[in-house]
Amino acid sequence: MAKWGMVIDLDKCTGCQACTTACAMENNRLPGENWQDVLYYVEGKFPNVSMKWFPRPCFHCENPSCVSVCPTKATYKDPDGGFVLIDWNKCIGCKYCQVACPYGVRFYTDERAPIQPDIRTVFPSDEGRQWNPPYKGPQDDPSRGIGIQPHGVVSKCTFCYHKVSKAPKGVADLDEDIPELKEYVPGCVRVCPPKARFFGDLDNPASYVNKLIADKRGTRLKDETGNKPQVYYLSGGAASAIPGLRSMKDEG
Amino acid sequence: MNLLETLISRRRFLQASGATAAAVGVGGAVVPGLTTLTEARATAAPSSGQTTITKNICHQCPARCGIDVYTTDGRVHAIWGTSDHPISNGKLCPKGPLGTYILYDPDRWKGPMKRTNPKKGRNEDPKFVPISWDEALDTVAARLNALRDKGESHRFALCYGRGWGASCAGLQGTFGKLYGSPNVPIGHSSMCSDGSIVAKKALDGNEGYNAYDYINANMLLMFGVGFLDAFRPYNNNMQVWGYIRGVKVPKTRVTAVDVHINPTLAAADRALLIKPGTDGALALAIAHYILVNGLWERSFVGDFKDGVNRFKPGETVDPATFQEKWVKGLVDWWNVELKDRTPKWAEGVTTIYERDIIATAHEFGTTRPAIALFERGVHAHSNGILNGMAVHSLNALVGSMYAKGGLMNQMGPSYGPLPANYEDYLDDWAKDGDWKKQPRIDMKGHEDGYLLARNMLQEVGPNSLKGKPYKLDTIMFYQTNPVWTAPNGQVWEEALKELFVIDTSPFPSETAMMADLILPDHTYLERLQDAPTYPFQGWPMTQLRVPAIKPLYDTKYFGDVLIEIGKRIKGPMGEYYKALDNTENVLRHLAKGFEKNPGDNGVNSFESWKEKGVWYKKPYLWRQIDGEFYEWDGQDYNRKMSESEVKEKLLKTESGKFEFRSSWLEAKADWIAEKTGRDRSKLMFPHWEEPKHPGGGDLYMVTPKVALHAEGRGANIPIAIANLQPALGGRDTVYIEINPATARARGIRDGDRVRIKSEVGTIEGYCKYYEGVRPDTLVFPMEHGHWAHGRWAKGRLPGHCGEVTVNQSDRITGQCNYYTTKVSIERA
Repeated sequence: MAKWGMVIDLDKCTGCQACTTACAMENNRLPGENWQDVLYYVEGKFPNVSMKWFPRPCFHCENPSCVSVCPTKATYKDPDGGFVLIDWNKCIGCKYCQVACPYGVRFYTDERAPIQPDIRTVFPSDEGRQWNPPYKGPQDDPSRGIGIQPHGVVSKCTFCYHKVSKAPKGVADLDEDIPELKEYVPGCVRVCPPKARFFGDLDNPASYVNKLIADKRGTRLKDETGNKPQVYYLSGGAASAIPGLRSMKDEG
Repeated sequence: MNLLETLISRRRFLQASGATAAAVGVGGAVVPGLTTLTEARATAAPSSGQTTITKNICHQCPARCGIDVYTTDGRVHAIWGTSDHPISNGKLCPKGPLGTYILYDPDRWKGPMKRTNPKKGRNEDPKFVPISWDEALDTVAARLNALRDKGESHRFALCYGRGWGASCAGLQGTFGKLYGSPNVPIGHSSMCSDGSIVAKKALDGNEGYNAYDYINANMLLMFGVGFLDAFRPYNNNMQVWGYIRGVKVPKTRVTAVDVHINPTLAAADRALLIKPGTDGALALAIAHYILVNGLWERSFVGDFKDGVNRFKPGETVDPATFQEKWVKGLVDWWNVELKDRTPKWAEGVTTIYERDIIATAHEFGTTRPAIALFERGVHAHSNGILNGMAVHSLNALVGSMYAKGGLMNQMGPSYGPLPANYEDYLDDWAKDGDWKKQPRIDMKGHEDGYLLARNMLQEVGPNSLKGKPYKLDTIMFYQTNPVWTAPNGQVWEEALKELFVIDTSPFPSETAMMADLILPDHTYLERLQDAPTYPFQGWPMTQLRVPAIKPLYDTKYFGDVLIEIGKRIKGPMGEYYKALDNTENVLRHLAKGFEKNPGDNGVNSFESWKEKGVWYKKPYLWRQIDGEFYEWDGQDYNRKMSESEVKEKLLKTESGKFEFRSSWLEAKADWIAEKTGRDRSKLMFPHWEEPKHPGGGDLYMVTPKVALHAEGRGANIPIAIANLQPALGGRDTVYIEINPATARARGIRDGDRVRIKSEVGTIEGYCKYYEGVRPDTLVFPMEHGHWAHGRWAKGRLPGHCGEVTVNQSDRITGQCNYYTTKVSIERA
């Protein structure tokens, strides 16, 4: 049984947000409600200013705090593959999971839409879903949080469960450059132009993702929380994978 | 009008007006297809579950990435890069997946329409009413026939922007020759990046953008190109980046020059924040350093006859002591210009520290192969040709022209001939009519205008308004929206009030608001259209858009609109277009060229082209190795080329050399000296000249394209809006970048609403403190400020930069000086 994981090489990432938009289209995200986001950080004073970025999907933690707080067991860890998913039929929209998640990757979207006019009024749904875009994909599985998000529930990245779960059994890595495998690769990985993302089985010692984690010192975000993310970052050896800001003199 | 026509025009009206929901059941008749998108889904055939994949080419920038379009049950729901397409390689930039938003844009035109409100203006509703395609095409043809009968065919202009291939923009040139107008077509290249094309023409004789062998280069020196922001082909640039920075040994070194920290500068090894318009000074100092320190590539440039370097700062050199190889005028250039262009001098001009200039120059001069690339940041200034020439000269100094890891020129595809030869269909008026005595409306190629430019689209509106050289009568637009994109486009609003205006975009726009006729094109996922590659890696490639679905609305491909108008022109011209018949016929004839010359992927026919979406044939045929040129002989670069072959195929200047002393400019020295005031002894060399900054303000304003700028539509795509400015922006707000010191000195707080003014206009927006922008410069993306572009674009701040940009152009290249206006800023 695979335990799927992702490796993101920050030395190659160009911060372009193709992961964000490919995910948004694949998963019918409302504009601005990005399951997969790229966070930007700027520090320093002119003329020596650094800009950094940090791509952030859901980490599909081995020990997810969102699962342990869910009062209805709507959010769960799928033992087959290691996905953290939400059953929309059980979710009551209490948002406890959103508070518990150390990474801010869960979404309740019934508030005012970030982009006006609200596209939900342009492509309205008559099935209790948030909207009904003409370009929605054929996949729909509310018990795993796949498809168009209904009202009153929380949603999150599924590691593109609808693709990955159909992958041939026993595959160590899902590499989009292998034609037979590309349809099973998560959207954010498949689209990534500089090939900064890799997706494979963390339980397979021979997988390429494990090779990268070993050779390039893969690190996990906020490991001290004990959540044990299944997403690893690579960042030029000794440098910190996680952007931090120096204190600068504030001139008011 | 019979009943069927009544129903059809009723249907168009309802679609065009969006009044569909109320219409069902009018008179008890339900017309098939009379549905909103929502209803269309409800009545769709039961799901077959079958997904089809068609090949297409992304339309959102010039890069031309091959895309796989996924359609299930008649609905397009996903777009991925085509795996075996040489540009996309299965990948996409952030815009690529958003193409379905463009197809299903609820603000699309639904069919041909005519204006019924004769008054034109920003606040005038055109009161478009739907008409049939026959009425639309007959109306255009009647006007064109009447103009021709009056001997005024030159008063018809056809202006275009992002032309794609031989089946659309490629048909326009023959239309002009057959009809008899110097103004058919007028391209937008002067509002694009002619500054680099013409600067390169002056030096190496090739009038085109370069192809680049990035993956084999060991240093890239980027001047104002936004390599990781918008520079074509953006998607492939990022693939290159992942390789040269994450895989390649040795890791490629990158220095990037711009006016603010953007992702390109952030990811580079060295970021240089330069004063706008002074990139030429930096490049001249790098050239100076390379010569003084003996770092030039002797096998390409040549050497002192005795091997002793005489380039010493401030000292002239005897030209007789230097033996040039593939360059012309190096010592002359040194003597009139370079000898004084020290890094210390350049620090004073550019504000970049001498220390950093020397480090950059040393790295560029000692790392081979190296490429210096530049685009509009460098040349969209009054001194643009000089800046561009200075940068491009660096490529010759380090021997990168046509070298592995260097620069090339793009080869064209092996197309077959069209179904008919237009020369057989020219009547007397077309051959010798008085229209041939008329200058172009934009004064391109005219001594009183822009003698050496390639196009001057930005002058068309203003010139027609002034009646100089004359007033147009009818103007048609393809893939361009000059009321919005032209500098000081307010003048275009006035100009178009006087003219009969035809727009062919699928979408509403500011130009369409001034239109008398709307002849809407298909969107790209509905088109059958060819698209030869933009300069990429040199070897020839051409692509095909294959419709994923039938057109959603009553639209027509622009190439077919042109052919249908042509058929309606009296005389042999009409016969020519009857012989072309339609664009599919044109494309089938083009594809016959592949039969004799099949592509590397086996494409040898129209059908296989449709299946693969791309024809290409590697390798590039020529390479310069250690100062000698070789041609590919089928196995390798083995066949040595003669000097005359190099001149014919590669260095197409008068001398057949890379000319630091440009014979092309020197031949027009009198005109250049008169119009620019340049020194006759210097005007043919790359040299430093202070740029002219109009506008009357105290701050530069630079308005780059960003990664999510989908050409022509980015402002109306909600996901693009939400992610447009990730470093500074909010989900819903795009900010004007202002250095905190600049803001505080003006009493402007972080996040304040501000007003930007120049002598031609005023716009407003919200500002954000940003240490990464120069204190003398304001930066914001060229995207918002639309007033007629769609529901999400409307009124979005900041206002449009074009409304405060003075219409000033480089007199040589004709390049519109988008980044040179000076503005002032205050709290609103």
